Amino acid sequence: MRVKDMMIRAVKGLAPEAAALEALQVLNELKISGLPVIDKTNKLVGMLTEKEILTHILPKYFEQVGVFSYEENPKAVKQKIKSFVNLKVQDIMRREVITVGENAALCEAAHIMLVNKARRLPVLNAAKQVVGIVSRGDIVKALFKESA
Amino acid sequence: MNKAVQKFFWLIAISFVCAYLASQNGLSPKQSISIGIFCVSILGTLFFWDFRLSFAFIGTSVLLLTKTIDIDHLVRFASLEVILFLVGMMVLVGLLKEEGFFAWIVQLILRIKHLTPAKFIFVISAASAVLSAMTSEVVSIIFIVAAVLEICDYFEVEPLPFVIIAVLATNIGSAATVLGNPIGILIASKAGLTFEDFIIKAMPLAVVCLLAMIGLVLVLYRKPIALLRERMRELGDNDMLIRLISVPPDRRLRIGLTIFGVTLVLIALHHRLELMWGLAENTALLVLPLISSGGVMIWKWQKARSYIERDVEWWTLLFFLLLFAQAGTLKYTGATDVLAQKIVQAAGQDINVLTGVVLWFSAIGSSILDNVVLVAAFIPIIQGFQNAGINLSSLWWALLFGGCLGGNITLVGSTANIVAIGILEKEKNIRVSFFAWFWAGLTVGIITTIIVWVALMVLPIYR
Repeated sequence: MRVKDMMIRAVKGLAPEAAALEALQVLNELKISGLPVIDKTNKLVGMLTEKEILTHILPKYFEQVGVFSYEENPKAVKQKIKSFVNLKVQDIMRREVITVGENAALCEAAHIMLVNKARRLPVLNAAKQVVGIVSRGDIVKALFKESA
Repeated sequence: MNKAVQKFFWLIAISFVCAYLASQNGLSPKQSISIGIFCVSILGTLFFWDFRLSFAFIGTSVLLLTKTIDIDHLVRFASLEVILFLVGMMVLVGLLKEEGFFAWIVQLILRIKHLTPAKFIFVISAASAVLSAMTSEVVSIIFIVAAVLEICDYFEVEPLPFVIIAVLATNIGSAATVLGNPIGILIASKAGLTFEDFIIKAMPLAVVCLLAMIGLVLVLYRKPIALLRERMRELGDNDMLIRLISVPPDRRLRIGLTIFGVTLVLIALHHRLELMWGLAENTALLVLPLISSGGVMIWKWQKARSYIERDVEWWTLLFFLLLFAQAGTLKYTGATDVLAQKIVQAAGQDINVLTGVVLWFSAIGSSILDNVVLVAAFIPIIQGFQNAGINLSSLWWALLFGGCLGGNITLVGSTANIVAIGILEKEKNIRVSFFAWFWAGLTVGIITTIIVWVALMVLPIYR
């Protein structure tokens, strides 16, 4: 079985110019943690997940400071949430996205996911256009189904 | 033409011209090659910061292939002792970070009660200088900037002036001890200076510079300070800041602090230990961080590999290693001796003139270049002055202070500046302009360098 045989084809993508707040609402409505960002030519330009949103909101230095715990929410977090309304998807999306080709074997997709610690992969065709998406759960199910 | 190609063209052209001029001025082919290659490394750091290690690799290989230096001497000049010292300190700093020491410092700053603008500026300046002198400028600035940003956010004021104040103090503090800046240990190692020499001669001068800096910034930033005073009056005491973060004061933090404290005390006493045990000069200084970090890796054996792989900046250290070897090649070929002779002749063998030349040249050079590159080039030249019977003592201090204080002049003058501005730009999504930094940096840089210049010329302790 190849990735194209089991991927989800109806990919909901976000436009890079879309408002970040709207994108957050889409994630909440679909009850998913992230979506690919796709431009007008159907090319993948980034990925927006809840991780990117949290990374934007939390102070950038927290990883470098070492071990501590927040007892209160920093004022800067509240300010950033207030100013979230002015942001576009392209302002906070991740630009380096790990992808898989539609003709890749399932194990190759699993391999890419494990090596890159990715939970889902956008699937690209030969013209580098987004044609689907696969998640870790989809790969596990498909591998077990194939071996059954 | 592509900008990168243009820069590369200039890099090669300038290096060739330097080598050609050297050969036309009576230097041998090997001396000219060593100068040309060193120029490539200097310009490589200036034009292609991210590729500096590539230039160092290729340049060093060319030195070997052209027989400008042999492998034995290259290894000897690579100053492995300095590199190992830095590795040991980086492991110790990694431990401190992991055990929450730096977050604990941030917490202490946030918990200061009845904060006033003057108290805030004094505390961030003193904390920046002390932490920098103890752990290195690049490490300390991250934590101080974290505290500054939280305080400025709480009082809703523009953080840039206060971040600049923290960086200025960090660079000044980095001159106070051997640990503050890689150039400190490099100069100590090459000049045979001890930690006690730094405590007696560098630290008091750094304290005077710090006080002068605080006075200057209180005037230069009077408007942002007035605004902060107003906001502090409006928003009252910093109750939320006091509770903002907590660091578990657990056993591991106390053990980490004890290991670091004992190491610092032993490093401070290294000269006496060396005399007591009949060790060669600076052996204990260089070995103590290795012993402590070795102990840390036994205590935390499961994370030992991570300390070495994650906390040691191998990219930077490899660059330093090859840079030191290239600077050593300048000495090996005799190029720096010729240069030293010409400088001494031009200065009329006057120590005050030479001290001024070294101090101002290194200060201005460090405002543009990485100070390690500059100091590595200057060391063999200063060693060359000895042949003319010059007493080198004040020149070493001039080089140290020039290299550290010059970093304050421009936005890119030191790694601490770049790190702090990087955090600020990412956090606030702003672009800090060259001139937003320049006037305060230039004023503090020039005034503090003048203070050092006068002290080096007037006070007999530096002779």
